Amino acid sequence: MPNLGPFFVTGLAVGAIYALSGVGLVVLYRASGVLNFAYGAIGATGALLAWQLVELGQPELVAWLVGVGLATLLSVGYGRVLAPQLAYRDTVVKAVATLGFALVLLGFTRWYWSDDPRKLVLPTDTMGLSMIGVRVTGTRLIGFSLAVLITIGVALFLNRTRLGLSMRALANNRDLSALLGIRVLHVETWAWLISGVLAGLSGLMLGDLVRLDAIVLTFLVIPAMAAAVVGRLRSLTGTLIGGLLIGVLEAVGTPFQTISPYRSVAPFIVAIIVILWLQRQRVITFAGRE
Amino acid sequence: MIQITNLSVDFGGVRAVNDVTVNLDQQIVGVIGPNGAGKTTMLNALSGFVRPTSGTVVAFGQDLLSMSTYRRARWGLRRTFQTEQVVEDLNVWDNVAVMLDPIWQNAAERRAQVQAALDYVGLTGSEVRLGQTLNAYERRLVEIGRAIVGRPRIVLMDEPGAGLSETERDELQALITGIPDRFEAVVVLIDHDVNLIAATCHSTAVLDFGSLIAYGPTRAILQDDKVKAAYLGVEASHGK
Amino acid sequence: MVPGSLKQDTTAQGQPVTSWPTAAVSLGNVAAIAVPLILLALILPAVLNAFWLRALTSSAIFALAAAGVALLYGRLGLVSLAQIALLGVGSWVTLRLAHATGLPFELVLLGGGIAAGLVGLVVGLPALRMRGLYLALITLMAAGGFQVIVGGTGFPDGGPGFLGRVDSAAARQLMARPVIAQSDSAYFRYVLVVAALGFLLVALHRRTRPGRAWALIRKSEACALSAGVNVTLYKTWAFTLAGFLAGIAGGLLAGSVGQLDGRNFPASDSILLFALTVVGGAYSGLGPAITGLLFRAFPSLLTAWNVDGNLAFIVFGAALLHALITAPAGVAGQLSDLVDGLRQRLKRQKEPGQ
Repeated sequence: MPNLGPFFVTGLAVGAIYALSGVGLVVLYRASGVLNFAYGAIGATGALLAWQLVELGQPELVAWLVGVGLATLLSVGYGRVLAPQLAYRDTVVKAVATLGFALVLLGFTRWYWSDDPRKLVLPTDTMGLSMIGVRVTGTRLIGFSLAVLITIGVALFLNRTRLGLSMRALANNRDLSALLGIRVLHVETWAWLISGVLAGLSGLMLGDLVRLDAIVLTFLVIPAMAAAVVGRLRSLTGTLIGGLLIGVLEAVGTPFQTISPYRSVAPFIVAIIVILWLQRQRVITFAGRE
Repeated sequence: MIQITNLSVDFGGVRAVNDVTVNLDQQIVGVIGPNGAGKTTMLNALSGFVRPTSGTVVAFGQDLLSMSTYRRARWGLRRTFQTEQVVEDLNVWDNVAVMLDPIWQNAAERRAQVQAALDYVGLTGSEVRLGQTLNAYERRLVEIGRAIVGRPRIVLMDEPGAGLSETERDELQALITGIPDRFEAVVVLIDHDVNLIAATCHSTAVLDFGSLIAYGPTRAILQDDKVKAAYLGVEASHGK
Repeated sequence: MVPGSLKQDTTAQGQPVTSWPTAAVSLGNVAAIAVPLILLALILPAVLNAFWLRALTSSAIFALAAAGVALLYGRLGLVSLAQIALLGVGSWVTLRLAHATGLPFELVLLGGGIAAGLVGLVVGLPALRMRGLYLALITLMAAGGFQVIVGGTGFPDGGPGFLGRVDSAAARQLMARPVIAQSDSAYFRYVLVVAALGFLLVALHRRTRPGRAWALIRKSEACALSAGVNVTLYKTWAFTLAGFLAGIAGGLLAGSVGQLDGRNFPASDSILLFALTVVGGAYSGLGPAITGLLFRAFPSLLTAWNVDGNLAFIVFGAALLHALITAPAGVAGQLSDLVDGLRQRLKRQKEPGQ
């Protein structure tokens, strides 16, 4: 039995970022009804821009801020320009539209930044400390802490602030909220903004921890969505747990020769088990908004 | 005919239908009550669109709640909805004929039954018109046609009169009244129009806050003090 | 679309209304489709060079796969983002059966179709009982999962064992084509025939009981249930049928190129195929054909002009957004509107008094 310690730690770190991504997805979905399939692509674009700026000699902090800024801009841009055109369609159509956005971003990032291998290096990669006999890099530590802190922060925001309350109202019943005087567009824009910031952050961290590649980062929306599924697309705690679980499951498969090439199937397996569990209690839908 | 025993339905923390026991024993039964009284929920429980927390429903010797929703429909439990469910893509004929799809019968018999239903509701001649071309009243007629085609056993109607004009409501009244004789089905009718209920239903059940507060011959029920108090908020002692 | 306003040609959910084919399959209808197909089958191989013949064969194959996606989305509003993965399953099984058993092409093709249908069923079934969003989610994950798995196992190419892999590049075998269709030209015609049969299978479903059940389900599940329709069964049936079509397409692809690997079936292609199905038009028989051309012939065009293929993604993504927002019936819908418009104008010209 190989020593799983280091893999467990790696898994927790990556899983925490999956969870962070998942939180961004859930907050947006609950407030606007849009499950954003372009989430990973948005993060990817931001991360690649940050890398580009560092290559061009810009100071790193500036590059990362601009990267996250671009991600936020893309998210809010879509949310203010394209999403409102589909505001009265059902959730499936809204989600399908984000696929279109994802394709556009994917096409652009693959065209502009071709498939050459590149690395996103953060100074915290080389720092580290030893915990319970395992060496943990600074990046992983920061990633994990950031994810947990932000998840708690978002939960507090939703529960303790006025804007958060408006967002929860919107998630509950959109039309009724509008009637009650909640500025729907205003609240939604904030949701797209928060989601964009989280996407940018996740993109950067995953670009460092996993790989800085347009396709890989775009499709890391899959473990993020799997984490969100564990949270039933509503619970932040569930998403956090789901993300960590998926990250760890993926990572601990590494030292085992036979299953190692297939370990990225972990999000799918977790998601399908959760869905099997959820579908016992069947919900009958009438047409239109679900 | 429809024996409901201790029927309760909970949504989250709210008890929408509270321990209702009643034997709906007339051919056309009305269900009335203020908004939120649980009428539609009870209908949904009967037709399988909501799972009751407890209780049994036995109709014509058949335990309804043990059947899944679509099986109840095949058995002969039909219903109309508050929001019309006409399929735009299909023409009038197909919209009604789909009800007979699950039933094995020869084509001639099927054609006869569909034609009989369409003739009954007055849509003869509109068979090939697409669903999307129908106006609101015609859609209501299609819904009724669906409810009565073939061999229905129970027809549940949820506010069929909503949004109709005077003349349309009179025609509806005639249609409902004729169903038991023509199609040998029992009708359970929810509506807010007390005149419609009075004109069509032999007996009426009254719900308030999920509980059954009265059941009996319609005329007596509509004079009942308790019923008036529930509807109008008038104290029972001051009732006429 | 603002709530409360109903355009004449859309349902309450904003989806296009397509008039239901009530007449039985008439000679006129069949001729209208068969004659152009026969002409294409005869003429095209004669005039096209090898590159374009391959591209159009590919287009026909993916048109068949798109027909499955269109069935699910157009008829039932179900989003499947795994069709290319299911096509890959079909290819994989077909290759395995071909190398292991040497059975006739038609049988291994059928085997691939059935396998893909079953895999589709297993993947989709849990999500079919939940909100449509979950099906989109789970199929996307399945597409990603397939890419990972097949990246690890590789495609069978004549070797021994369950995975059927050979060690050296020299010994790799190509899949055998059907006896009657060995050359590229003959294979193109073969593919056209099989694709046409696939489209026919879908049309037959649409005109009979499953089609009506699907129309009810699309209206609302409540409506379907109250008509005695076993909703889960019919949704599952549609999903399995779509998977079957993908599998057949996969087998045809294996026969076309002879050897495949994991890079042929990326998850991004599954998304792309879905996007193009919406763009081509998910509500008519012509739509999937347009999708096939967009999916394969357009990128071939870009290659021929030395343009980076990734730009196609940008165009297609934008096209999807455009289709969803302004033209839900896709290119096929706009074409049919155009034809209707012309017909109206001709009618008006014939009756100058009006």
